Amino acid sequence: MHSSLVRVQNVFGFFTSVAFTVAAVIAVSVLLSPQHPSASLELRNVQVVKGRPHYYSTKREEYAHIKFDLDADLTSLFKWNTKQIFLYITASYPSSSPSTIPSSEAVIWDAIIPSDFARSHANTYLHPTTSKTKPSKKSKQKGKPYPEGASPGIVRLSNQKPKYQITDVSGKIAERTNATLNLHWNIQPWVGALVWTNTKTYGRWEGLKGGVSGFEFPALKGSETVKKEELRTETGGERNRGSPA
Amino acid sequence: MDELLEQARSIYEGEIDFHGQSLAETLSTALLSLSGVLAFIVGFLTQNIWQTLYVGLGGTALTFLVVVPPWPFFNQHPLPWLPARTGRGALAGSITVEGS
Repeated sequence: MHSSLVRVQNVFGFFTSVAFTVAAVIAVSVLLSPQHPSASLELRNVQVVKGRPHYYSTKREEYAHIKFDLDADLTSLFKWNTKQIFLYITASYPSSSPSTIPSSEAVIWDAIIPSDFARSHANTYLHPTTSKTKPSKKSKQKGKPYPEGASPGIVRLSNQKPKYQITDVSGKIAERTNATLNLHWNIQPWVGALVWTNTKTYGRWEGLKGGVSGFEFPALKGSETVKKEELRTETGGERNRGSPA
Repeated sequence: MDELLEQARSIYEGEIDFHGQSLAETLSTALLSLSGVLAFIVGFLTQNIWQTLYVGLGGTALTFLVVVPPWPFFNQHPLPWLPARTGRGALAGSITVEGS
């Protein structure tokens, strides 16, 4: 510590140790904050139609279009170390031989919900409901999801369109039984570990209550009986990534 | 010119005495640890991780400011040098070794 340069090196060296230790303590401290998420996820409508994976494809596959209602209170997931939550819904259905092949899971909808302390970013959004008529103040307070709502983690979606139509590797998805819709999340912290959905209770972290609903895929519908508008998918803010404003 | 260079070197190197070095070591450890603990507590109580970041960085900046420049309080115990040799061989003055 005899000269300025040595003192700079010493102070900076110890600073890195302190920074790492504080980060580690922050990462562990989230175990102290209780967590009690609950959700109610209901299937609204499911349709199966024939389609093509892309415009020039000659292969015709069956695609399922799943609409759902979601009413979730995930506010307790927003701890002081939570940067954002990636929320997603999967449709899960058993394979042809459940004893040997695990069931398939496909994401039908997802969203990034930023914490109040996360600086705003174009990709953090939850789909705005684009309606021509402006909703009244009352309905706005009652049923709008975050960003419009007061607190991050309150998600209310009614008759929500999926973001992705799903199909199976075999190309056949109609009339499958014992399917479920499942709500999942991924808590992305400022520092520390990524945490996925827990259905069991660990210490102060209670498991997710609800967030599962069973359904069955219906029979295939002819393309002339289903309107194209009914099979639209939702587009999120991530569409804007990389393209000029 | 030499005098000027000597002054520049002394500012750049910022040398401090042995007691000062020990004090600087203690100060940097104590201040950095304290700012780390304080940063966590402030952030946890306000539930705002940005407070942790800013308190931590502020404490570190303060530590740099306190420890790095050769403040006068680091030079309170200058070590007296042996007197210069006069002529060949013999040293003027006495050398004390291990207190004897």
